[in-house]
Amino acid sequence: MESYENALEVRHLRKAFGVLKAVDGIDFDLKRGEFLTVFGPNGAGKTTLIKILSGLTQPSSGSAKVAGFDVTEGNPEMRKEIGVISHATALYADLTPLENLMFFARMHGIAQPEDQALKVIDEVGLSQRRNDRVRTFSRGMLQRLSIARAILHDPKILFLDEPFTGLDLHASNILKEHLQRLHDRHRTILMTTHDISCGLEMCDKVALQVQGRFAFLENIGNVERDQFEAMYFDAVRDNQFIMEISIK
Amino acid sequence: MNLYLNQIAAIIWKDFVTELKTRELLSAMFIFALLVILIFIFSINLSIVKASEVGPGILWVAFLFAGTIGLNRSFMLEKENGCLMGLMLVPADRTTIYFGKLISNFIFLSIMELFILPLFMVFFDIDLLAHLGPLLIVVFLGTLGFCALGTLLSSLSSNLKTREIMLPILLYPLLIPIVIGVVRMTSQLLEGIPLLDMVKWIGLTASFDIIYIGVSIMTIDQILEE
Repeated sequence: MESYENALEVRHLRKAFGVLKAVDGIDFDLKRGEFLTVFGPNGAGKTTLIKILSGLTQPSSGSAKVAGFDVTEGNPEMRKEIGVISHATALYADLTPLENLMFFARMHGIAQPEDQALKVIDEVGLSQRRNDRVRTFSRGMLQRLSIARAILHDPKILFLDEPFTGLDLHASNILKEHLQRLHDRHRTILMTTHDISCGLEMCDKVALQVQGRFAFLENIGNVERDQFEAMYFDAVRDNQFIMEISIK
Repeated sequence: MNLYLNQIAAIIWKDFVTELKTRELLSAMFIFALLVILIFIFSINLSIVKASEVGPGILWVAFLFAGTIGLNRSFMLEKENGCLMGLMLVPADRTTIYFGKLISNFIFLSIMELFILPLFMVFFDIDLLAHLGPLLIVVFLGTLGFCALGTLLSSLSSNLKTREIMLPILLYPLLIPIVIGVVRMTSQLLEGIPLLDMVKWIGLTASFDIIYIGVSIMTIDQILEE
């Protein structure tokens, strides 16, 4: 049994790149097993937020605890608890899915790397292609393999950065099923996306991140879909306007 | 400790499987080293110049220039598709990444050197077999220092747009002590001086090997972080 109450505890989190504030004072908690979807226009700081929470980059100020671990400490124990799916697949193109996952299983210290790799390959429906080079895979297949890599060590918390990008409807549905299954298995999930219907359909909480801040954070039960959509599109439009002004 | 060693072994295994499939690295390094030696062979009149005097310099230029190709590719492989990010997310000490890559680079470079040495012996008409044992020790020390520093700097330069230019610019000046040491030792070996008479040079080269590995252990965390 885990010793922490909240899977994520974020307090006054800030990250600046020079004058640009990518994350600008974010506060939230996420209980174990909850699913938070973060929407936001491009450049709102969603990816930076995930990078901080997964320990890939240090915050400028504020604090964040993931599975009870302070993200700034770079504790390898924290990395056992998290799985990350980002824009990049983090897969070696010249290796097969089996070789890729066996490699990551060994890096995670899994006792039977081949058995575990075969199990998750089967779980994401890629058994038929397990011995083909990853270089030959479609975007949808890469994304499924990316999920397999992220869940290989059975993490309790998952960070997904725009996982639906570039997927066709079929691949998108398969991904949704996987996420639903993980949610049913009581995994804590933080997902960023631009896909309103997918994002709202699966989550317990929804947030809207604009210019590094959470402009909106609410339980899904209290969210009117039409109102939220209008608010999201306004944010995207305003953000576009601000970006154009900045460029000028 | 077991997990630490297993993680290093996994990185080496992954690099070898990739190389077995692509065959890009070893062939590129070998052809480049061979070309360097051939160019020098045709530009030097060995009836005037003693092969044992110019040979060691040429041999090490070939090793280091070809090795730089290998180093450039080493972390490029990790940057492709964000694989380095995947490595950063596993519950491993960052030094496992450094040591895994260091040992891979060392083995690949050593294999290339083992193919080049006989060719060097034939082209320069030098009997290396008489000094093979001590020569291999010198090659080991030089290659280790080159890979120790090169692996660290290739991880640093892999984040730069001008990585192919930056790596040699950063690497070669810092390698000067090691290069001087191994070239002098190789030269003296070919003149028939026993290795035991070169304790100062061995000490210099081995010290820099240790210094570069030590500095890498201390800084790899910061370098790998964005």
